[in-house]
Amino acid sequence: MDHVFSHVAVLGSSGVLLCGIILLWRRSLPSYITAFRWQSITLAGLTAGVAYFGEDRNLYWVAAMILALKGLVMPRLLERMVRRFMADSEVRPYVNTASSLVISGVLVLLAYAAARPIQALATSPTRGGVPLALGLIFVSLFVIVSRRKAITQVIGFLMLENGIALLAVLGTYGVPLIVELGVFLDALMGFLVMQIFVYDIHDTFSTIDVDVLNRLKH
Amino acid sequence: MFRGPGVAIEIAQSLLALMLAPALVGLVRWIKARLQSRQGAPVWMPYAQLRRLFRKQVVVSPHASWVFHVAPFVVFGATLVVSLLVPIAVTPLPFNDVADLFTLVYLLMLATVFLALGGLDPGSAFGGMGSSREMTIAALSEPAVALAILSLAMVSGSTNLGEIAARTVADPAAALSPGYALAFVSLFIVMLAETGRLPVDNPSTHLELTMIHEAMVLEYSGPYLALLEWASWLKFFVFCVLASNLFVPWGLSTSLEPGALAVALATTLIKLVVLAAAVAVLETRVAKLRLFRVPELLAVSFVLGLLAAASSFALR
Amino acid sequence: MVILALLGPWIVLALVAPFRRPVGLVTSAQGALPLVSVGAALTLTWTVLKTGPVSGGWPDWFRIDPLSAFMACCVSIVGAGTMVSEALTRSARTRASATAVPATDDERAARRVATYGSLFVLAMLAAVTVGNVALMWTAIEATTIMSAILIPLRRTKASVEASWKYILIGSVGIALAFAGTVLAYVGFAGRMGRQEHALDWTLLMSVAPGLQPDLLHLAFVFLVVGYGTKAGWAPMHTWLPDAHSESPAPLSAMMSGVLLAVAQYAILRWKAVVDLASGGAFTDQVLVVFAMLSIGIGALSLVLQKNYKRLLAYSSVEHSGLVCLGLTFGPAGVFASLLHILNHALAKSASFLLAGRILRRYGSPDIERVRGLLRAMPGTGPLFAAGLLALMGFPPFGIFISEFLLFRAGFSSGHVRLTLVALLLVGIGFVALAGHLVRMLYGAVPEDVPPGETERRGLAVMVVCLLGLVALGLVLPDAVSGLISRAAEANVL
Repeated sequence: MDHVFSHVAVLGSSGVLLCGIILLWRRSLPSYITAFRWQSITLAGLTAGVAYFGEDRNLYWVAAMILALKGLVMPRLLERMVRRFMADSEVRPYVNTASSLVISGVLVLLAYAAARPIQALATSPTRGGVPLALGLIFVSLFVIVSRRKAITQVIGFLMLENGIALLAVLGTYGVPLIVELGVFLDALMGFLVMQIFVYDIHDTFSTIDVDVLNRLKH
Repeated sequence: MFRGPGVAIEIAQSLLALMLAPALVGLVRWIKARLQSRQGAPVWMPYAQLRRLFRKQVVVSPHASWVFHVAPFVVFGATLVVSLLVPIAVTPLPFNDVADLFTLVYLLMLATVFLALGGLDPGSAFGGMGSSREMTIAALSEPAVALAILSLAMVSGSTNLGEIAARTVADPAAALSPGYALAFVSLFIVMLAETGRLPVDNPSTHLELTMIHEAMVLEYSGPYLALLEWASWLKFFVFCVLASNLFVPWGLSTSLEPGALAVALATTLIKLVVLAAAVAVLETRVAKLRLFRVPELLAVSFVLGLLAAASSFALR
Repeated sequence: MVILALLGPWIVLALVAPFRRPVGLVTSAQGALPLVSVGAALTLTWTVLKTGPVSGGWPDWFRIDPLSAFMACCVSIVGAGTMVSEALTRSARTRASATAVPATDDERAARRVATYGSLFVLAMLAAVTVGNVALMWTAIEATTIMSAILIPLRRTKASVEASWKYILIGSVGIALAFAGTVLAYVGFAGRMGRQEHALDWTLLMSVAPGLQPDLLHLAFVFLVVGYGTKAGWAPMHTWLPDAHSESPAPLSAMMSGVLLAVAQYAILRWKAVVDLASGGAFTDQVLVVFAMLSIGIGALSLVLQKNYKRLLAYSSVEHSGLVCLGLTFGPAGVFASLLHILNHALAKSASFLLAGRILRRYGSPDIERVRGLLRAMPGTGPLFAAGLLALMGFPPFGIFISEFLLFRAGFSSGHVRLTLVALLLVGIGFVALAGHLVRMLYGAVPEDVPPGETERRGLAVMVVCLLGLVALGLVLPDAVSGLISRAAEANVL
């Protein structure tokens, strides 16, 4: 049973990370959103899986919230934004795609090195996926700094949150439910405020390239 | 190891592969046609194509040298040798001693090099272009292949095809491990690139701006062309067998009993049909990539290989 | 009950503030309610000193020990000061205007500042009083959101840019802090099993000695990078000058005065946990790097500044670095750091509020444009000078004392070279600030700036702050030093 559990956990987290890497390969905003949506859905599925094998009822709620919020609502809102900025949907990253992919590979290797203390400590069947979660955190940070659209930065941030959620699910079968609720509330609020700001940027600068944000220096 | 009868079965396997390869390609084409709401040519169409080509005479450009004449035989021969090495229904067989992943990859590379040379030799514009593109892709896909192999070897402790397959047969859950899964995706992408399928190359057009494989064989005709086509189909078949029997080796026989053999053969065929369907669906869904995006696709494969290697290393 | 009195007023104020009328009532609520909260904080401190830590809320969400009480005092005092000063300015403006309800943009902006500002203070107070690390994280994340909303109060290209940088860098930083929290929880769960109260300070501190050091080190790096972003430590400080210079003055005052301190509080808490598991060496090494970078970048950036609000912002980076440095200097250093947090909160929030008045009068944030401040604004000018002198570390202001204690702690704990470098950098900052200040104070007043002080009542709060600062500098009251030393003791090895 544990054997199957650990395979499910690791396979699921590979899937979540894979969505992040596929995102790096894509080059239009709608496909970024699709990648993010699939990542969230995979994450929700994995969380439900961990809930089943780990016999933790609370995690089903978490899975449902991930699915509803990050799998349905947020992608929908993002798509609405993208439709508003139709003319401007090619990503044009600072770092070209091939290098981005290689860099992300190196980042995941780094995550494997960083996760050694956890691997050594944990005995849970899910520990195999922990480096992948850390890897996703690093890859998301890379997405944020290497992509120039405000929306891609938002998506990178949401992926970062997915990475952390993955870490929590794999590391300890989730943090206490009350904390989880607080985190979701904050995530939603933060996302909504960011969304307002993206509209602000678009209305003020008539573009959502963050290159234009270069007024304030020193 | 099964000596005497083993060799016979080995050769029988290889011949079977040779016979079935056109049918597999025909199947992919047929499924694709159905998916695109076309009638589609029958599955055995490639056989007819081969027969037609073998009957025709060879037309050779006056600029062509001996390389042009040798290339088809080398390509066909190398691919045929490869088909002797892969575990189609039974493993391990006598030739398994040399059935190493490295042998396999570099035999295929040999075929690729000669194909490119053959394309260059007559000095036609399209041939040169196709060869240059083919070599670009080959150069880029090689590290990805090497990494995918490495990660597989790390999981199973060997680069020997038979041993990898035997290991996975013994412990089927291992096929679900992330190292395996990632390596599989990595190898699948490389397979698409190496065998000239979408989204890297479109096997069903002769569009001068985009073609790769078709550009190289443009100067060939008659039996030479038949050999080259057959070899490329066989290569596709071999890759499919590899993908299905290394990663999902359930049903693969480890003995020579007729019953097990029949089961093994049947499961292999089913797996091949499934894989062919997957390829057909994929080719219908995706558009061909612009050439400069191909390196990015291969970078994906490379990164996946890297991850596969890392995760199998970490999880050991 | 007291906790309700501490947090409640801000909730009520956030509910009341959006209303346009009756304008008198709303303004008096804005002036009076925060004072209730200050009173509650002081009462709470007294109780904590008398009878030990206070728990409360439903079911024991809040836990207030000396450190929390101290931080709650800092936050509520700065919050109340800002709100009262806003209320005074508003009432002065209402009196000056002809109609009963001034429907100007100023008034609308003031309403939004009052609403989100009180939510902001509420989040900060919650952050320092909850007894659970993860809920503390939630509250700190909420501070980012509440303050970010206020930055583009007037939508200009600069303020949109500042708000975007702030929310993005702030959110990413705080997310990393959460990753650190989760990693620490993994360590905890690996040893103790999963528990609902696993992330409570008290429980965490009690099992900390048995946790695996390597894992906690990894967690600590995430936590320092995360909360350090909010604390304005270099090299994650890049959002700070933009956000502080572009946001409305009351918000800048609160962000610079106490938001940085709240993040430092979080790091101090975690440092205590990690130190118990692994000894202090690792955390000190990590913090020293960020401290020296912050002091260096902060001080050197002061030299070339052209904008006085950014000047104050970089001074915050420098002082935040000093606080961070103090945390690595043992018990005496932590004492100095906490005292410095209080002093800096008073000095910096007063200075930012005054800078807001200067900006409104001169209509420009350029140091170049502000000339003859003493003559143009006879009330604001001298106070601004006093605020900057305090920030430079002049006696008799409290910062002099806390910096003195900090450097003494550095020398006595054996970090001689490090302390000398820090002193040198602080000296550079001193010279730079002095130069800018002199240029602003004297010279000919630009023709389009009318001389004479208006809305004088608003100055009362700044006067009180600076007087308090002088008091802290001349006589450090026993109550304050007692509280701080109790707070410091509990959180050092």
